[in-house]
Amino acid sequence: MFDILSLMVRYLFILLIYLFMFGIIRMIYLDIRGIRRRSSVTSTYLKLINKRDELPFNIEEYYTLNKDTTTIGRSSSNTLSIKDPYMSKRHATITNDRNQFFIEDLDSANGTFVNGEELLNPIRLENGDSIKIGQVNFLFVHEKNE
Amino acid sequence: MKSLFSYKIPKNILISINLLGLLLVAFYHNSINKTTIITVLGLIVIIYLSIFILSKISSGDEYIFLIVSMLMSLSIIMIYRLSPELGLKQVIWFVIGILSLFISYFFIKSIKIWPKWMYIYIFISFLLFLTTLIFGKTIKGATNWIVIQNKYSFQPAELIKILFIFFLASYYVNIDKFENKLMLSIVSFGNIAFLFLQKDLGSALIFFTIYIIIVYVYERDRKFILYNIIIASTMAVVSYFIFNHVRVRVEIWINPWKYIDTGGYQITQSLFAIAAGSFLGTGIGRGYPQYIPEVHNDFIFSAYCEEMGLLTGIAIIMLYMIFIYRGIKITLEQKNKFYRIVALGITSLIGVQSFIILGGVTKMIPLTGVTLPFLSYGGSSLVASFASLGILQACSEVFEDEKEDNYGQEE
Repeated sequence: MFDILSLMVRYLFILLIYLFMFGIIRMIYLDIRGIRRRSSVTSTYLKLINKRDELPFNIEEYYTLNKDTTTIGRSSSNTLSIKDPYMSKRHATITNDRNQFFIEDLDSANGTFVNGEELLNPIRLENGDSIKIGQVNFLFVHEKNE
Repeated sequence: MKSLFSYKIPKNILISINLLGLLLVAFYHNSINKTTIITVLGLIVIIYLSIFILSKISSGDEYIFLIVSMLMSLSIIMIYRLSPELGLKQVIWFVIGILSLFISYFFIKSIKIWPKWMYIYIFISFLLFLTTLIFGKTIKGATNWIVIQNKYSFQPAELIKILFIFFLASYYVNIDKFENKLMLSIVSFGNIAFLFLQKDLGSALIFFTIYIIIVYVYERDRKFILYNIIIASTMAVVSYFIFNHVRVRVEIWINPWKYIDTGGYQITQSLFAIAAGSFLGTGIGRGYPQYIPEVHNDFIFSAYCEEMGLLTGIAIIMLYMIFIYRGIKITLEQKNKFYRIVALGITSLIGVQSFIILGGVTKMIPLTGVTLPFLSYGGSSLVASFASLGILQACSEVFEDEKEDNYGQEE
């Protein structure tokens, strides 16, 4: 009885050890990619506040907002597509209007929160605002270079 | 349940390995009862909790502790399989190790004048060496243990390793104020000579390699490095002819089969064990790793290769490699010179130590008895390794005050 169990467990064990290692290497890889991204980001971007290993889906540390409209949601047609099950397919948009950024909720199921308050109407984002979409927390960084 | 096996959350895999391995081993020893299950659950809670606390208090590296807790889980599973008593002791040492990690972490962060204490490091390490020479007990061929009341024993060399790294770091931080190569060489080679006298060749090799690595990175006078290497290699060759215990090691390494019933017994048993395991291993509890003397200590790697397979062995080596990669990364990112040298020293300490013993048990280099960091059974070695991990964790953070010193007022 024990022999069969032990023989079965050894496959699982090796698999788990390699999965663990793969997980660590993946985190390090994402980290390195994040550093490289950051050096090329423009002055406006979203920074992830969550620890990445708490979120069981692919997500990056930084997202640049260099387009006029950035759509956020679960569907892959969005500019910023995040496979968070708590997100709607098209969840929110961030619009750039003459270097002022506005966020708008697109009637999402779970809502969008800016600084802890649920978004009802589009509002202007200030540097340092925290944005909560689904399970993800972002920090809005908007550096003014005058 | 699915997230327990998801590679995207490595700490959950850690938990499932612990649960699976420990329960299997408890089943092997026929000891599934209340105490075992409480110990297993307690262990898992401790690992989870320390990962959580560390991620809250430390803004630095988040991977090195994960890697180490993986090694530590494997260690507890294997030592518990070899002997339940030692396994329980290893759990206790693990808890003490975690405590020493947090203590050294706060110690490093709260004291800011480490570089100024160079003479204190020299003094303490020589004092420890002297006490070992006078009061030391010879255990397993090396006079490097201090035994108090026949009960508690520890290896001062483990502590001196960290002191030596601190000494080298403070020397190179203050190099502009005074440059004294004679003192550097005397202290370093003095340390190595003391270890040689204690017949602790493995530690002597570790000290020398750390010394050469740090000197190679920070010494401006390149010829000095060359002289060091030349002197050390001549000394190594001379010691082969003078000292018997050095010659015996090399001869066993060249042909262990000739001495299979005496000095070569350990290494040949280790080779048999590794060969018996093949790629997937015999399965936990189905091999005979206890035929190797000292298997729970220096030779634990052979036990993994036999029972969990060569693939696990390769995985362990790769875990050490990722650890060293992170260590070098921390070294490169640290701006403060003192902490940078300390991070480099600790990374090379763990790297060199694991290389020496892994090379030794697989007969790649002559065998010298050092413990495999985080895997071997052993109190002082484990506590020292965890303390150095705490120092490395502190080194991975940004030290603000130094920045202001360097760049002046920013306004």
